Amino acid sequence: MRGNGTRTSLALALVLTLGGTLTGCGGDGGGSGGKVGLRFTWWGNPDRAARTEKVVELFEQRHPDIDITTSFAGFDTYKAKLATQAAGGDAPDVMQLDYRQINQYATSGILLDLGKHPKLRTSEIDKGLLATGVVDGKQYALPVARGTETVAYDAALWREAGVPEPNLTWTWDDWADAMRKLSASRATRGRYGSTDPGQSEDVFEIWLRSRGKSLYTKDEKLGFTADDLTRYWEWCTGLREEGAVVPAEQTTQMDGTVENTPLGRLKSVSDFNWDAPSSGFAPIVGEGLKLAPLPVGEDGTPGQYFKPSMFFGASAKTAHPEQAAQFIDFLLNDKEAGAILGATRGIPANDAIRQDVLPKLEGFDQVVSAYQKQFEGRLKDPPPAPPKGDASLQTTFSRDYDQVSYERMSPREAAENYITEAKAELRQ
Amino acid sequence: MTATATRAQDAAPPAPGGKRARKRERQGAAWVFLSPWVLGAAVLTLLPMAVSLYLSFTDYDMFDAPRWIGFRNYTQMFTEDPRYWRSVITTLTYVVIAVPLQLLLALAVAIALKSVKRGKGFYRSAFYAPSLLGASMSIALVWRAIFNDGGSVDNLLSGMGIDIGGWINKPGWAILSVALLTIWQFGAPMVIFLAGLQQIPAELYEAAAVDGASWWRQFRSITIPMLSPVLFFNLVLQMIQAFQVFTPAFAVSAGKGGPADSTLVYTLYLYDRGFTASHMGYASAMAWALLLAIGVVTAVLFRTSRAWVFYANDNNEGGR
Amino acid sequence: MTTAPITTAPAARRRPTGRIVLHICLIAVLLVMLYPLAWLLATSFKPADEVIASLKLLPSHFEWGNYSTALDGVNEVSVGRLLWNSLLIACGAVLGNVISCSLAAYAFARLRFRMRGPLFAFMIATIMLPHHAILIPQYIIFNQLGMVNTYWPMILPKFLATDAFFVFLIVQFMRGLPRELEEAARIDGCGPFRSFFSVILPLTRPALITTAIFTFIWTWNDFFTQLIYLFEPEKFTLTLALRSFVDASSQSAFGPMFAMSVFALLPIVLFFLAFQRFLVEGMASSGLKG
Repeated sequence: MRGNGTRTSLALALVLTLGGTLTGCGGDGGGSGGKVGLRFTWWGNPDRAARTEKVVELFEQRHPDIDITTSFAGFDTYKAKLATQAAGGDAPDVMQLDYRQINQYATSGILLDLGKHPKLRTSEIDKGLLATGVVDGKQYALPVARGTETVAYDAALWREAGVPEPNLTWTWDDWADAMRKLSASRATRGRYGSTDPGQSEDVFEIWLRSRGKSLYTKDEKLGFTADDLTRYWEWCTGLREEGAVVPAEQTTQMDGTVENTPLGRLKSVSDFNWDAPSSGFAPIVGEGLKLAPLPVGEDGTPGQYFKPSMFFGASAKTAHPEQAAQFIDFLLNDKEAGAILGATRGIPANDAIRQDVLPKLEGFDQVVSAYQKQFEGRLKDPPPAPPKGDASLQTTFSRDYDQVSYERMSPREAAENYITEAKAELRQ
Repeated sequence: MTATATRAQDAAPPAPGGKRARKRERQGAAWVFLSPWVLGAAVLTLLPMAVSLYLSFTDYDMFDAPRWIGFRNYTQMFTEDPRYWRSVITTLTYVVIAVPLQLLLALAVAIALKSVKRGKGFYRSAFYAPSLLGASMSIALVWRAIFNDGGSVDNLLSGMGIDIGGWINKPGWAILSVALLTIWQFGAPMVIFLAGLQQIPAELYEAAAVDGASWWRQFRSITIPMLSPVLFFNLVLQMIQAFQVFTPAFAVSAGKGGPADSTLVYTLYLYDRGFTASHMGYASAMAWALLLAIGVVTAVLFRTSRAWVFYANDNNEGGR
Repeated sequence: MTTAPITTAPAARRRPTGRIVLHICLIAVLLVMLYPLAWLLATSFKPADEVIASLKLLPSHFEWGNYSTALDGVNEVSVGRLLWNSLLIACGAVLGNVISCSLAAYAFARLRFRMRGPLFAFMIATIMLPHHAILIPQYIIFNQLGMVNTYWPMILPKFLATDAFFVFLIVQFMRGLPRELEEAARIDGCGPFRSFFSVILPLTRPALITTAIFTFIWTWNDFFTQLIYLFEPEKFTLTLALRSFVDASSQSAFGPMFAMSVFALLPIVLFFLAFQRFLVEGMASSGLKG
């Protein structure tokens, strides 16, 4: 809460400088006509917006005394906007949060401890996922849904190339062999096997976990060494030089959207991504699109895990903590709300809702749910939320690898560079 | 540069009320005219600037209280951050390419348009059209498509036997495609050049034509000197804007500054440090270093302007 | 500085063949320049799988669906509403800049007061500060003023002449006006206010129109400020809504985004076409001095 005090005093100092004539009335509170007003923000696309809007209306019908104002943006812009709001002491009452934001926001006193609110039930939410929203023993955020990484691939082309389709037990070596064959095959017409996994910290994490390590240790230190990263990047570099995965010129064009990945641009025949966003490949790849599990370690250790795809949290400064908790409870636990929301935020983390929702899913949501089903009971618990300071490390990771793939640094140099930068960011 | 305006007024016959009273009245009037600006400058510019100067000496992650660390940000920036210097070099490259080319193109088109009689309005609007777009996400995607491997530019150049491949994914070429986006949107300096050109008295050209001066001669001895104040205005402002270039680089590289940091211009890196990595203190230090650097370059430009900028009306003062 | 007749530049007096060559050159340059715009327009008709992946100019077939999706609006906010919001902000900003910048410019260009030199230098210096650095402090101020999620953070600064670029621009224009005008006005008994409104301001019209056009376009396209300060989708602008079609964590709708871009372009094109006439004609009769 230290941060809160100073932010306010900084703001106060500013106001005093303005002549003390202006009274502060930050966005919180308010509400029209004696109603309690809540602000709710999330990131997402228009489909998610439409469904969320419906659920909000339903909540307002049931609670005529509460008025909810909603807002959304694309993920990257949302992050910058939320950070600015938080720094300005103006975080929305209820907000959608990413795994990587939890620790920072919780330890800086932005988030409300949701564990204290009896109206907010967590009994139906998957225990492993629930734990990822806990920081310093307090439940600052609640997982909304779960997602897991996948290898999205064009099964038709794989068959044509005579490459066996992946299964739950394929290893990283199997994956690499498949990529070599695919790239070399005539059937793929000059397309590469896959995106270069070297640029992705997400894939690196799964690779690490399948070797029994992790990105971060329990005490929030780096869980790997420069040697580990060097080995990973050397392996990727080998594959890139063989032409099994796309060259640097393709990798560098990735901008986070599905459409601008090598598979989305039809330059490769498979790609790493999260399961739900892979729906974006469907219109581009067509009928042949399938989702495969990520490779496992030599000893069969699975690296992938169910990640909470997003959380809900409330602002520590909200004027209406009760109502905020009530609203989050509704979003997570209400059956009717669950039915409307479907899988727009991912397969629900609430076990009961998930059972209700799954049979009704349509289109790609069904593919995702079937994909997740095969892992039930097979995966290890997700790691705790990444430590504070990690926010920019994904970018740093791909930037450093860019130096490798454009042959400006050796894997070793870049790996050591990354470790130095990461330690500085984590303030270790 | 602004001093001459009042000189003539002072020379005017004293009006009733006495000279000192008038002077006081004019002082007061000046402040009335200035009052919105003063309020805005104090509250929305000076105050935030002061806060950012303070933050530049702190470790501030936007969430917890700023922690005073003295010159640590500045020393880290200048001595320990190779990416910082890469961004400086990238920005300088950009400035050196974009500013002269944009001004040249704007000037050339403005001069050509001046001679056009028919369809002037059409040309003016058409040449301005790209500048209406800004660097939106759509134009970014268009740019990336045109300058990609197998895109229009690649096809054209390969057809002529020049094989570069995609520009946007080649370090060294990518910054050029960013600069081209800026150069492409030369509408604003063009409009200002046009205005300046319209203002050159036609008699000067007539006299020169009578003397049998060639087109080039007229251009050098009349157009350039008469246009020099406008040229100077455009040069200063385009340069300042070029040092702060953000949106074209952000758009073309999808916010990443790639490939291999080759489009990571100064403000893009500043934004990255401040908003992605939550190092607002460091970002503020970067902002102040940039402010000082632009200040020095601008001061040098103003200095040299005395040698080449020609003011027809006030021969007693050079540029500021 | 009195009316310079609309130009007789050297080139204009060349032979007709020269003029034709000039036209051909201009059109050639123009074609190159308009190519990306054609691309933008063509892409707005491309089906989903061609928007990014295809490097051909023309779509395989025309997909009108992009436009109908775009015109449905975003997040249950109609396109009309988004358009109205954008117009409100842009017009407010234009009004603010024209009024406040011309006031400040008049003081800097034509009046004498203490501290003028340093204040002018400070004004120029404010152009040089990257605005990202003052974003957070500004946000705190607007938040304390209760102006977050209103249009004030986009409009109020314009009424307070914070766009030093335009103050500088108008100062440069005003410096070129003959001083005799004000002297005459003063002999007639006009104070600084009368001579500003009835003598100087009308003559500065071209500079003001330049200011208006640039402000309109730049405010219209200013994505970042709108993103930071606007909260409710009902208050979103067209520029902001464009980004709602693209989200990294789910499927994007690039086709409709392009359609929306074309649509968002129309008002600024109209605004420019309506006012560009005054721009240069007007400038010819007053003057811009460096």
